[in-house]
Amino acid sequence: MNKITLVASLILAGLFFQVHGQNPQEVLKKMDDLMSAPIDRVATVQMTVTNKRGESKTREAELKQMGAGYRLYRYTKPENKAGIATLSLPDGKMWLYMPAFGKAIKITLLSKSQAFTGTDFSYEDMSGIPYSDRYTANFENSQNEKELLLNLSPKSKQTEYSRILLALNKQYGYPTQMAFYDQNGAYIKKADYNYTKQGGYWYAKEVVMTDLRKDHSTAIEIMNIRFDTGLSEKDFTIDVLKTPSESD
Amino acid sequence: MSNKVDTFAENIVKYKWPLLLITGIITVFFGLQLPKLSINSDILKSLPDDDPHARLLKDIGINFGGNNIGLLILKTDNIYNTEVLTHIATITDSLATIEDIISVSSISNIINIEGNDYGIEVGKLIDPYALPDTQEAFDDLRKRIRSNKLYKDAIVSKDETSALILFYLSEDANVKDVAAAVIEKTEQLNLPEDLYFAGSPMLVSYISDLMKKDLVRLLPLAFLVIALVLFLSFRSWMGVVLPLGTAIIAIVWTLGSIAWLGYNMSMISNNIPIILLAVGSAYTIHVINKILLETDQQKSKRISKGLASVTTAVVLAGITTAIGFISFIFGAYLEMIVEFGIFTALGTLYSCILALTFAPAIMSIGTRHSRKSSSYTKFRIADTIASQLVQMTLKRPKRIIGVWLVLIAVGIAGIFKIDRSVNIQEYFKEGNPARTAEQIMMDKFGGTKPVFMRFKGDILNPQLLQKMKEASEYMEQSPDINSTLSVADLIAELNFAITGERSIPEDPEQIQQLWFLLDGNETLERLVSPDLNQAIIISKFKSPDNQSKLEFSDYMNDFISQQRSETIDIEITGMPFVDVVMDKSLINSQIGSILIALLFVVIVIGLVLKSFKYGILSTMPIVAAISLLFGIMGLTGISLNIGTVLVASVALGIGIDYSIHIIAQFNKQLKIHSNLNQAIYESVATSGKAIIINCLSVSLGFLVLIFSEMVPLLYFGVLIAVSMISSGLGALTLLPAVLLIINKENNE
Repeated sequence: MNKITLVASLILAGLFFQVHGQNPQEVLKKMDDLMSAPIDRVATVQMTVTNKRGESKTREAELKQMGAGYRLYRYTKPENKAGIATLSLPDGKMWLYMPAFGKAIKITLLSKSQAFTGTDFSYEDMSGIPYSDRYTANFENSQNEKELLLNLSPKSKQTEYSRILLALNKQYGYPTQMAFYDQNGAYIKKADYNYTKQGGYWYAKEVVMTDLRKDHSTAIEIMNIRFDTGLSEKDFTIDVLKTPSESD
Repeated sequence: MSNKVDTFAENIVKYKWPLLLITGIITVFFGLQLPKLSINSDILKSLPDDDPHARLLKDIGINFGGNNIGLLILKTDNIYNTEVLTHIATITDSLATIEDIISVSSISNIINIEGNDYGIEVGKLIDPYALPDTQEAFDDLRKRIRSNKLYKDAIVSKDETSALILFYLSEDANVKDVAAAVIEKTEQLNLPEDLYFAGSPMLVSYISDLMKKDLVRLLPLAFLVIALVLFLSFRSWMGVVLPLGTAIIAIVWTLGSIAWLGYNMSMISNNIPIILLAVGSAYTIHVINKILLETDQQKSKRISKGLASVTTAVVLAGITTAIGFISFIFGAYLEMIVEFGIFTALGTLYSCILALTFAPAIMSIGTRHSRKSSSYTKFRIADTIASQLVQMTLKRPKRIIGVWLVLIAVGIAGIFKIDRSVNIQEYFKEGNPARTAEQIMMDKFGGTKPVFMRFKGDILNPQLLQKMKEASEYMEQSPDINSTLSVADLIAELNFAITGERSIPEDPEQIQQLWFLLDGNETLERLVSPDLNQAIIISKFKSPDNQSKLEFSDYMNDFISQQRSETIDIEITGMPFVDVVMDKSLINSQIGSILIALLFVVIVIGLVLKSFKYGILSTMPIVAAISLLFGIMGLTGISLNIGTVLVASVALGIGIDYSIHIIAQFNKQLKIHSNLNQAIYESVATSGKAIIINCLSVSLGFLVLIFSEMVPLLYFGVLIAVSMISSGLGALTLLPAVLLIINKENNE
């Protein structure tokens, strides 16, 4: 690159930053911060999986989450799945409790691209690891004045996506849509977010993940959410997983 | 009758221009339909809905995507090699990008659930980001594959030289486009390993391509051969152009009708153009023959007289040939055979109409009075052969009949040796990649013929799953079944990972909870219906042999009848079962269509010639020719399959024409000459020449098919040539001999 091109590029880059007033990586970081702002959260999660024939199956689980690393789902519906629970820990480990077998099983996920328990979300989508840690962001031109558009490129090759096109609410910085592209550059999935504010925190009241290849979708709806309930590490142990407290 | 025929012949000459105009308009109309014509060589789509096996097979194809699986075989020295695994991963990723391929499954991306000391491991069989690169890692991978029932001998061959990559097409995929994209993408990768393609989508595409190639290459060649024979026979452009021209127009009309009515070409109707080339040219040859033999000075009179004298015979020949083809609709198993029968019959009638209208109309154009050429009479070979044959017959009729009886006896003896194996491999010539792929699949991966066992009931019920597991184990005891796959296997494997026992849990709750781990897994869509009331066991059948299929069918039906209950319904289907029914129907429809065609021929000829004796006699040469045909098939090992099953009826349709011409002529000559020998001599001398010309041109035309890439088509050509020659010889020797003896006895 000769000097003139270099200078021109720098000027253009500078202009671009000025247009948006901030660095794209910072925008992404702010989104992560917004998503993980509550210290903990307790909620009822309803997952509705719809196949290409339009047939739907609904599951319900009680969710306890602390930060991004601790997460416990205990299924309540349908009846035949009631009592099954999963526990995710910050080291990436996952435990599964199946009451009919009476024991907790450690699940080592060798592939993060797998579907999360029959949904259209992969374990990678549900990992909770901040996007700014995993992706490098760049601005893209957006036609929508209320949105910012970021192109996210993975920092590691060990991901199912080659890029994510992220649309953010310009004013508050929460995501409105993510478009996922596979390693061959094909547009394979999209997530539509419906954010709302409660008790000073923005949270995704509903997320719909659509698998475009299979014409299959999963809607996750968060209900009865409470923030900062005082959860601690002792609420995320194997024993708790196996013996639900009354509040569960 | 005779007056009507004369008027008809005169009108043809009189209204030649309007006739030619109408012919031109119809030809343009049907010609414009031709671009719509498409080839569909998918045998599954041609299976009848009223056969339970075929219906279940189609049903499973729709609900579980079982029939739309393509296979790619990667062959090398050793699969357990980092570079080879990288290539498998590259192919897998590359195929996944093709539109209408829903998923791709190979050693590089297959899901693996394994139990260990502290829990279970869920992941891929190999980590795509850290492929094995040490001996230890390869040994570990080998051990994991061999110990897992789901992968053992299914994704890597036992001898470790071949790996299988499966790709699943969407329900409404354009199979040919996908197959072409698969070949193109993999060729672009330029990999050092050998790649072969198998499975229904690839096979359908291969067959379509070969069919197209054959049509483009062989049809013009057949034209050339027939044109050469016609030129040598008639020594005039009219003698070449007219028979071929009417055949081409009949082909355009027929293919145009197929397209216009919304039908596709199939691997059987692919033969229609070649058959019509033979049939269409034959009628015109007879018309030209008769017109050229007329001696009147005025051209229009020569044409109308010649045409009048041959019209009845050509109409009879057309009707009987059409009957021969239409008889396919009785008892034919495959819809493609029924369609073939109907459209070839239609094409025959088109040919017949054109021979009686278009050909004489063209001949009547030009100078009114000249009788230009006597070169036709110069084609002495046909005259000499006809004359020699009839003299021999008149001299030793009983000996001729004796020789034919011996030939028929040999033929009948050979019939019992006819092989009826339906081996798709044998459709391709040695060295064809499709044949090699099928061979590898058979040798290393247990074949390609899918077998499905469907269970109806509550799929998560432990008893049903247990029955599925027992059915799998029972099926695997058959020497032709390598392995099976069902949801019961997945449940048992998961249970093994958690409890250490490879069995179906007795507790329904445990099954429900294991299901939690399986739910959403792509493999499930191919094994269980979404509402969990149907599930299938998938397997592959190895042997192409018919007897093995029959034994397997009985073996499995025993099990099913014992295991069925009020709450669990069990059915089995698959290509081996369809093959068994198809085989039975091949025989039934072959016998049925021949008998029906013969019966109709006797009735039609009997009514028109007002003598059922002539009706019966006219079938004799063709019965002899068909016996001989089957005998040759039995003695040479040419199997009866969906290609060769057509030969007898085609031979019957075309061959019967020869008898009709001889009998019609004999009937006429007997009224002119009181001497029986003279009548027979004149009959053979008059019609024999056209028969020989037609016999030669059709046989040589069909022999062009020996250059076909498709083995059934190759045999088809050879067998038709054999049938034409034998029915021609039958009409020129056996029939006159029988006519002579019967009429002599009557006279006495």
